[in-house]
Amino acid sequence: MLIQTNVVLQAMIENQWLFPAAECVHIVSFALSIGMITLVDLSLLGIGLQRKAASRLVRSTDLWTLSGFVVIVFSGLLLFASDPDHYYLSSVFQIKITCLVLAVLFNYTIHRKVALSADASGVVSKMVAGVSLVLWIAVIFGGLFFSFA
Amino acid sequence: MSLAAIARWLEQREWAGDFSASQWLYPSVLAIHLTCIAIFGGMILVTNLRLLGFLRSQSLTDVVQKLRFWKRTGFVIMVTCGGLLAGSEAEKYYVNPYFWIKMTLSALIGVHGMVFRNSVYRNTAELDGAQTMPSRAKLAAALSLILWIGVVCAGRMIGYYVGPRSLAAWVKLPYALWR
Repeated sequence: MLIQTNVVLQAMIENQWLFPAAECVHIVSFALSIGMITLVDLSLLGIGLQRKAASRLVRSTDLWTLSGFVVIVFSGLLLFASDPDHYYLSSVFQIKITCLVLAVLFNYTIHRKVALSADASGVVSKMVAGVSLVLWIAVIFGGLFFSFA
Repeated sequence: MSLAAIARWLEQREWAGDFSASQWLYPSVLAIHLTCIAIFGGMILVTNLRLLGFLRSQSLTDVVQKLRFWKRTGFVIMVTCGGLLAGSEAEKYYVNPYFWIKMTLSALIGVHGMVFRNSVYRNTAELDGAQTMPSRAKLAAALSLILWIGVVCAGRMIGYYVGPRSLAAWVKLPYALWR
């Protein structure tokens, strides 16, 4: 019954490449977006690029990060649609999505504001970078542990 | 000693059995491997995008030189985790074509680094001074992107390999697709 109504699952059964391909796209695009965000985080921490580079970095990576997000969400929804029950009933997946929503909200509010302001204190910058890193790493771990749980 | 013998020897080590049997260890190391791909792979992406002429707010010299140490550190962690994963199930990996595709692409990344070292990666001051990015730098970036994306995708595909397809499966495939 479910197989008949779930077009995504149907397509994935007929074409065995679809699911792995969607996963590959998902991984490459999260490497892009999370990579860009963590680069800003590291510069907030004074690791790699300097603290004062953070604001320019946010502005110049903005569009890349956002484009990555669009692809991540699209490929993620494709993966999710293959077996929705399995996903949303999993507590690991629920934690992952909670962290993801928090991470995205944090990224476009506090994180962005602090990275753009040159006069945020060192401690605040570092705390913001730490929270951002923890949230994004939790999202990656959640995604991986979901398939092992 | 042949590669197959090394693979067998590796897998028979006590740690390998413990490692692949542990419910937490294998996924944890895999998750660290994946996190390294995001953070340090992200740095590689940024470097390549800069070489292609994007992200001009940072000088190429800054991007290449200041991230070099961190990219190397991340690379070491990533390879260590990858080695643990492959080593714990060495015989399974040994017969997996995607694993060898990944190793081949990784070797090509090494070659790529040597080929473009002097003209691009150690030549950032001159490239920063240039009006437009020379095509050699863009070529280096494009190849690096293709190779790294290939490595990541081949890595993911390792998990999907179930064994050589039988001839019958290949014969049935067009029919299955057509149907």
